[in-house]
Amino acid sequence: MTEACSTALQTIISEFRNISPEIASAFVFKKDGEVLASTETVTEDQAKKVSTAIDDISEEADVIGGVETLTIYGVSSQLSVTSMDDCFLAALSSREADEKRVKALTCVVVPTVVRLVNQVSTALPENQLLNIEKPEAKLTEDFEEPEQAEQAEETEQVFEMPEEPTPVEQVVEPLEEPKPMESLPDPLEVDSELIFPKPPVNQFMVEKIGGLLVASNTVRVDKDVVAMWSDLYSDREITQVNVETLEGRTLICKFKPMSKADGNAKGIIKIPEKILRTLNISEGKLVIIKPVILTAREKKS
Amino acid sequence: MKRNSLADETETELPNVVIPSSTCDEGSVFASLSASLAEIRKLNGVIGYILRSSSSAMLDLSELDKISQYAALAYQLNESSLDIAKQLNLAEVESVLVEGIKLKVLFMRIGENKISVFMEKNANHSDIIKRILI
Repeated sequence: MTEACSTALQTIISEFRNISPEIASAFVFKKDGEVLASTETVTEDQAKKVSTAIDDISEEADVIGGVETLTIYGVSSQLSVTSMDDCFLAALSSREADEKRVKALTCVVVPTVVRLVNQVSTALPENQLLNIEKPEAKLTEDFEEPEQAEQAEETEQVFEMPEEPTPVEQVVEPLEEPKPMESLPDPLEVDSELIFPKPPVNQFMVEKIGGLLVASNTVRVDKDVVAMWSDLYSDREITQVNVETLEGRTLICKFKPMSKADGNAKGIIKIPEKILRTLNISEGKLVIIKPVILTAREKKS
Repeated sequence: MKRNSLADETETELPNVVIPSSTCDEGSVFASLSASLAEIRKLNGVIGYILRSSSSAMLDLSELDKISQYAALAYQLNESSLDIAKQLNLAEVESVLVEGIKLKVLFMRIGENKISVFMEKNANHSDIIKRILI
């Protein structure tokens, strides 16, 4: 399970108390004791011992069809442990808790999310899962109060390339200000945009590229990734990529598929020094790459 | 109703007598619990039970060929539930419910007496807890 998936689980179990205040704490742990998410401090040793105890019960539980859930009722509190694929969810709540609600959360919601996450993890490469949290972050950004947005705008760093004959294009995506309502677009155009797949997100490690024949505004991307983009957007010409650092600095620039001479190493993006300076990153750092797909309207403008 | 006694839940050979309890107090609790369990056994969905004290045991299960498996599970529940409760600082354990794909089992400890009630998944275990605690 990736870090992003653990964070998703953490978010869900953190919401438990809002849904059912009687739930005092919850944690998700693997069979080997690794704690994936928790609302309170649980040591790996504790989780491992709990896991071992459940395993011991499971070994003898064939007669009832294994262990799906285990609930221990104390005098004033109860502990519910649910088995989910390769991990467990434990939730500690008071005896006053609505049993149906606790069961819905621990036996339905979280196991469903875990199964879904596991399915997605097997279907997608890990570097595409690392950005699961991004849309959420973007949403909160979009819903910022106008004052906060202004402040954010003030504090946001603006990166501009030095004025040279071959400048790298627009660097930072500014926060969008509310725009007056525009006339309705052509319905046919809207339909074609709606079915357009979302740009895939890939994470790469940075390598510096230099030399006389190297364009200072062009990055080199794994040719297999470029081929995948071409397959996805067969009817669109992709000429630019959006490079985003883990600190959130973004830059749109031209790209070229890596050639044999470049080594065509997997998981590597080769970036000229000028762009590295602009993004304030160095070799070995991770960046997120998205192809820039222009909509029909953007192209016209 | 067929009754068997059980000296050790993990043993496969089961004696056919109920071993009397060592003290009067224990004996009366055991007798009271066995009476309650006999009533519980009649409830819809209950497929059997095991009652064990420090010196006596009694069981009534519909699948006699699986007695040793049920007994082993009951024993393990007693051990492991204590471990889990200790690890997570859960105050005194009143009862334990384990749900499997086919059946569920309710485990309770009343003094020296350990009770395991096996039932269908749709059986009302809360009602059984109340009946045992009365």
